[in-house]
Amino acid sequence: MANWAILSGIEGNLLAYEAVLADIRRQRQPVTDLYILGDLVGLRGDSEAVVRRVRSPQRGESIPQVCTGWWEEQCFSLHGLRGLPDAPELVERYGLGAVKDLWEAVSRETVQWLADLDFGFHELDCLLIHGSTVSYSDELTPETPPITLCDRLIRADANTLFCGRSGLAFEGRVEPGALRSTVTTLDQTAAPQEQGKSPRRVVGVGNVGRAGGAPSYVLYNPGTDQVQFRCVQSSPARGFGAARSKK
Amino acid sequence: MKLAVMSCIHGNYEALNAVLSDIDAQKADQIYCLGDLVGYGPYPNAVVEMIRSLDIPTCQGCWDEDIVEGLNACDCSYPSQLAEKRGHLAHEWTNQAIHPEVREYLASLPMTLREGNLCFVHGSPNSQHEYLLPTMDGFAALERVLAAEADVLFCGHTHIPYLRELENGTLSVKVQQPGQSETHREFTAPLKRIINAGSVGEPRHGRPNATYVLYDTDSTQVTLREVPYDYEKTCAAIIEQGLPPIFAWRLARGMEFAERAEDAGHVCER
Repeated sequence: MANWAILSGIEGNLLAYEAVLADIRRQRQPVTDLYILGDLVGLRGDSEAVVRRVRSPQRGESIPQVCTGWWEEQCFSLHGLRGLPDAPELVERYGLGAVKDLWEAVSRETVQWLADLDFGFHELDCLLIHGSTVSYSDELTPETPPITLCDRLIRADANTLFCGRSGLAFEGRVEPGALRSTVTTLDQTAAPQEQGKSPRRVVGVGNVGRAGGAPSYVLYNPGTDQVQFRCVQSSPARGFGAARSKK
Repeated sequence: MKLAVMSCIHGNYEALNAVLSDIDAQKADQIYCLGDLVGYGPYPNAVVEMIRSLDIPTCQGCWDEDIVEGLNACDCSYPSQLAEKRGHLAHEWTNQAIHPEVREYLASLPMTLREGNLCFVHGSPNSQHEYLLPTMDGFAALERVLAAEADVLFCGHTHIPYLRELENGTLSVKVQQPGQSETHREFTAPLKRIINAGSVGEPRHGRPNATYVLYDTDSTQVTLREVPYDYEKTCAAIIEQGLPPIFAWRLARGMEFAERAEDAGHVCER
């Protein structure tokens, strides 16, 4: 039976990634697929080591399916591979010093490997992506307006949208109620149509490596459609325990 | 106040003249233009000069943007390689033909215009390249109007005029976060409208007539206008100028299946 582990935001934190992998190995129901929704690299930690680890899974580990995230896009911008040159988003958010730090943290060779990654994955009735189909920087949170969440799900053409940009762990069930739409053209006024839809959801998968919190990720069972939030204690001194939070 | 809103003139001076005459006859108080002054048609400079001379508030269309920025959209902008090829030909022709001050003017156009609770865009509030089709999901359409912070969103780009009324919109979101109790949010939206102005110079509603819309801000009445003009003159000029003859052929028919990307909602980020 399929069991997905979905994570995002390692941001160069190899210790946190190892803690999550250890937690994945301990699952009673084996994890069959591992998705990483971007932000392998970042300003802190050892981004090169994380990329090496992701590219070289150990025996028995799933081969990670990785898509690009906000930090990868900053690398592409810095190296002139994509988007605007000179990473203006990076400078705006982290200052000019971040340009030098990121340049030194991620090699050209690694950036070129990152540039070949997908923008997201459509699997079954799910879209797995860093931000949304609008943009890699689209940050969906529990506070995002309902109509915006609804729009992102419609654009995603998926029943479940897994995303990582916000770094938050949440499950938002969007239930469109009613909407009457009437279209008039030069030739006719069509009968009003009701636009109700079945519920869909947005799942924030937490983050693995950002400073200031324990690594978090989600397990998803496509057979039962259940999402399980995982929060991992990564301090080696305390062992790799995990707090389980099943919704 | 009676507003006249037009879009997608595409270098068709004959059609623009006919529409301006009709607007005059309808006694509109103010004209707005939703861009795409150039492209496809044979008179880009004359059209821009006319718009400027009448001081018509205008937002930038996708063709206007491409002439300023250079063609940088991915193949999302075209339904086929053939369409892409002739689109590039038209772009090159227009790029050569326009005067420097016209390019400068096109570069100065804003993406969005506002007047009270009305918002004016070329494609959508997100992009000049996004098509707000009348068949688009109602909630997605509603999101575009709300994103524009408007009650009425005027757009063009599809070349087919329509009025879409979105009423009684409701939806709810239940949010679960680890270690927290579930939260519940309700959303309701009052009546919102999308008004597509069609196309003055390259209509695609199945007839060759130019189209635009009238909007009465007091009564909120919307009137879709269809204006006959001597389209054969424009067709002849298209051929004479060496533009792809298919542009003349489809102009004469108000071709319904002209260029439109297969994924209408795709927002090109290039």
